[in-house]
Amino acid sequence: MTTEDDPKPDGGTASHTEQDVAALEDHPLEWDEPENNNLAPDERASVSRPAEKDDDPKLVTGQAKYTADYETQFPGLAYAAVVRSEIPHGYVTDVDTSAAEEMDGVRTVLTPWSEETPDAKYTSAGQSYPEPSPWDMNVLNEHVRYVGDPIAAVAADDAETARAAAERIAVEYEEDEYVLDPEDAYSEDAPQLFGDDEVENEIVGHDYSRNRMSQIEGEIGDVDETVDRDDVHVHESEWETIRQSHAQIETHTTLAYTDEDDRHVLVTSTQVPNHTRRQLAHLFDIPIRDIRVSKPRVGGGFGGKQAMVVEPIPLALSLATDRPVIYEATREEEFSAMRSRHPMKVRARTAVTDDGSIEALDLYALSNTGAYGSHGMTVAGNVGSKPMPLYSKVPNARFKADIVHTNTPQTGAMRGYGAPQGTLALEGHLDEVARDLDIDPIEFRQNHYMEVGDLDEIAGMMGGEGAERRIRSCGLDECIERGKEAIGWDDLEQPDEAQLHRGIGMALSAQGTGVAGDELGAAQLMMNEDGSFHLHVGGVDIGTGADTAFIQIAAEVLGCPETDIVIKSSDTDVTPFDYGAYASSTTYISGMAVKKAAEDAKERILYWGSKLIEEPESNLETGNGKVYSEETDASVDLEEIGYEAAYGHDEREHILGKGTHCTEESPPPFAAQFADVTVDEETGEFEVNKLVVAVDCGVAINPGMAEGQVEGANHMSYEMAVCEGITFDDDGRSAVTSFDEYDWPTASETPPIESILVETHEPTGPFGAKSVAEVPTNTVPPALSNAVREAVGVRITDMPITPEKIRAALEDDE
Amino acid sequence: MQFSLTVNGESLEIEAAPDDDLASVLRREGYTGVKCGCDGGVCGASKVLIEGSAEMACGKAVREADGATIRTIEGFGSQDDLHPIQQAFVDHFAVQCGFCIPGMIVQTKELLEETPNPTEGEVREAIDDNLCRCTGYQKPVEAILDAAERVHGDGAVATDGGAPSESTAHEATDRPGETRDT
Ligand code: FES
Ligand code: FES
Repeated sequence: MTTEDDPKPDGGTASHTEQDVAALEDHPLEWDEPENNNLAPDERASVSRPAEKDDDPKLVTGQAKYTADYETQFPGLAYAAVVRSEIPHGYVTDVDTSAAEEMDGVRTVLTPWSEETPDAKYTSAGQSYPEPSPWDMNVLNEHVRYVGDPIAAVAADDAETARAAAERIAVEYEEDEYVLDPEDAYSEDAPQLFGDDEVENEIVGHDYSRNRMSQIEGEIGDVDETVDRDDVHVHESEWETIRQSHAQIETHTTLAYTDEDDRHVLVTSTQVPNHTRRQLAHLFDIPIRDIRVSKPRVGGGFGGKQAMVVEPIPLALSLATDRPVIYEATREEEFSAMRSRHPMKVRARTAVTDDGSIEALDLYALSNTGAYGSHGMTVAGNVGSKPMPLYSKVPNARFKADIVHTNTPQTGAMRGYGAPQGTLALEGHLDEVARDLDIDPIEFRQNHYMEVGDLDEIAGMMGGEGAERRIRSCGLDECIERGKEAIGWDDLEQPDEAQLHRGIGMALSAQGTGVAGDELGAAQLMMNEDGSFHLHVGGVDIGTGADTAFIQIAAEVLGCPETDIVIKSSDTDVTPFDYGAYASSTTYISGMAVKKAAEDAKERILYWGSKLIEEPESNLETGNGKVYSEETDASVDLEEIGYEAAYGHDEREHILGKGTHCTEESPPPFAAQFADVTVDEETGEFEVNKLVVAVDCGVAINPGMAEGQVEGANHMSYEMAVCEGITFDDDGRSAVTSFDEYDWPTASETPPIESILVETHEPTGPFGAKSVAEVPTNTVPPALSNAVREAVGVRITDMPITPEKIRAALEDDE
Repeated sequence: MQFSLTVNGESLEIEAAPDDDLASVLRREGYTGVKCGCDGGVCGASKVLIEGSAEMACGKAVREADGATIRTIEGFGSQDDLHPIQQAFVDHFAVQCGFCIPGMIVQTKELLEETPNPTEGEVREAIDDNLCRCTGYQKPVEAILDAAERVHGDGAVATDGGAPSESTAHEATDRPGETRDT
């Protein structure tokens, strides 16, 4: 454990500098936790229980409204289609729209030169402000940088006409050289994607002459000095990850119109309503107050909708035609022109002593950000700052990344946000080192991983992102124990057939919960006279069950049934401000805002209860839909309080509560992953028998929903291990245009996934919660690579793991 | 052109172009529980029962369905009175964003008509073209196995909802009943 009195051994600059001391003060070990936060599960009425998901009845009956379902409510609705670049790199010299414009039912065609097309530079990344992504895009482009870059847009009376019209638009290009491979793109003589004056809001470390949009680096201690020491072995390995698709089943969809009050309204499938509003205001030069972004049900996001991907086009078309316009991306566009996970090469290096002490840890990532830089720097930062702190006891650590452009579609935020790439490299690498040293891989990890009380300096080495933090909850030991038991670690039976070998691999992971010091959530609660409540939250439910978790948190504080709370979330005209659904922050940040709002309202409820019961407020509590006295048992229904407050004769009040929350904390959730695989040493064919993932998410607000998040994330992680992702032909054209070609594991191709929730208590979170939905996205690729290594002795380092690669490695081995 | 369809027990005369796909036609008529998640024929979100068999409505021209009896998700339970299959999905937390769920429920209905007591393997195969991005399929599979019991079991509708517990051990087994604790 590292404290002020106990500096890291051999720590170099890791021993405490002035800045570290400040960090210790910012992150005291003692945490002043509100009393009501820390009840045992059985003392709680709502939190920690599998309450029914609030929107489920709507969802299972087909009554829920996603963006496209609003279509029938807008007579005169026009449909958008987009003309996209056919070449990977070049300049549009002419767009002939005449044939399209002549068609019946076509309302307008916009090109880069149309008056209604915004010409401001922007980034699509839906992030905080000032934006940590470069402004390098236009809504419609003259300079095109990938096959799929938008050039023109059509609005027509129906979707078929819009598509047919788009096909009739002829584009002429002046073609330029292009580059698809990130290593080639980074070389001195590669074709250059951006001229010096083509980017605003440039990001640290950019060098467009080499297509680099950013370079970042952080270090504690001295890695170079450590690897040169005589008493260490240096190990090095390189890992490669796929371009994974978000593949949310609802494609990006936006409906835009201007209402009777001249307000520009977007009904849109987004994770970031408030950021989207701000970005649209910038692009269209409309005041923020005149834009309304409203999020209906969302059919999945996973980071793909933490970006303003399609919204500007229907808004521009709607302004041009004076009609409501809907734009639904096609599935083909999803693969070729929306967003994906950054494919990366990550090199891991360690310096380890004979007896297995890791003295230095060094990761380097080369990230392919595609044609534009959205989320490029921040995702790359997380390759280091999420997984590496797991081993916070290592005294010397460094992370460096180069983020380069290629003429491929744009990447973006995706569940895990860089951590999957880093976790593969780190956990695969450490497994191999342990084997080399003949140390049990679990013990090897245990000797270095974090514990409660540690001041995690590695998380802070990159600066702002995931700044230094105190570890106040950590269930790694229990995750490992329970995971081992569930996978059958100690009694693995080998198959009878001689060529079949079974092995179990494991990997650990840590994530963050929210971005420390950089997020805000807010909530408002109004009491009705019948004792029910309206809860307004800026936090965004994109299918995760966030609305239900918010209701449970409020119900716990108010002591009322969940069904007495009506929730409205994410409509910028109605609900308070929130940064949006990303960075595993929803339950932690927005949930804490809900808790504060409910506590604020509760104060007023107790005031009115005290008037009615005629006992001091300090005697009173809420529970079972009542305010009751802990002294005398006297009670009054919330309904009576509601009526009295609204209609009382000497005094009246609308009971309102408000809460806003931001924090310097970002506690890591943890996961231990186990994968059981049987490999045929003759063919390389393998079968994953089972996946087990144990997750420490603090207190699970709703264990049923939390398990669902864990399993879904683990499936996504499994896909990253066995699916090729989005590939391209030599001309830079996406080889994947449909789900069939994406070839991801379906229900019968997915092994059983067992999720285990390991309960700890995070004192900085609402009722002890930290995050759950990202950390299990990180772990299957390394666990499966480790399992194959265990089963047949070969190491697969580039994803996906395929029978061909295993067979080739086995042949090499012979 | 005029087409007649019987949708959820109601006879409809619908004006549509013969090539219009059934999913769009149904959605236009207000059956927006029919979802579209792909460019057609792959994701399974648009499944409806046509003469009792689960088909992707997007892959079918409306003329091919002329005169047919169709059941969409709207023809199952209502919000206050869910069909046992719907209730099983709710109780097992098998619904996340919900976009794939109407198609999944329609497919389950067909499966349980044909195979009242499916094995886990049969369930997984039955939903192989119902793509879900959110759940990892684990909870939908558990929900469907439970739904089989609720629909065809000894009349005993499970009421404990299969509340999640650590005992949801998911052994790869083809024997029914072994993967759940209801
Ligand atoms: S939209 Fe019908 S199967 Fe995807
Ligand atoms: S629940 Fe979201 S796609 Fe299945």
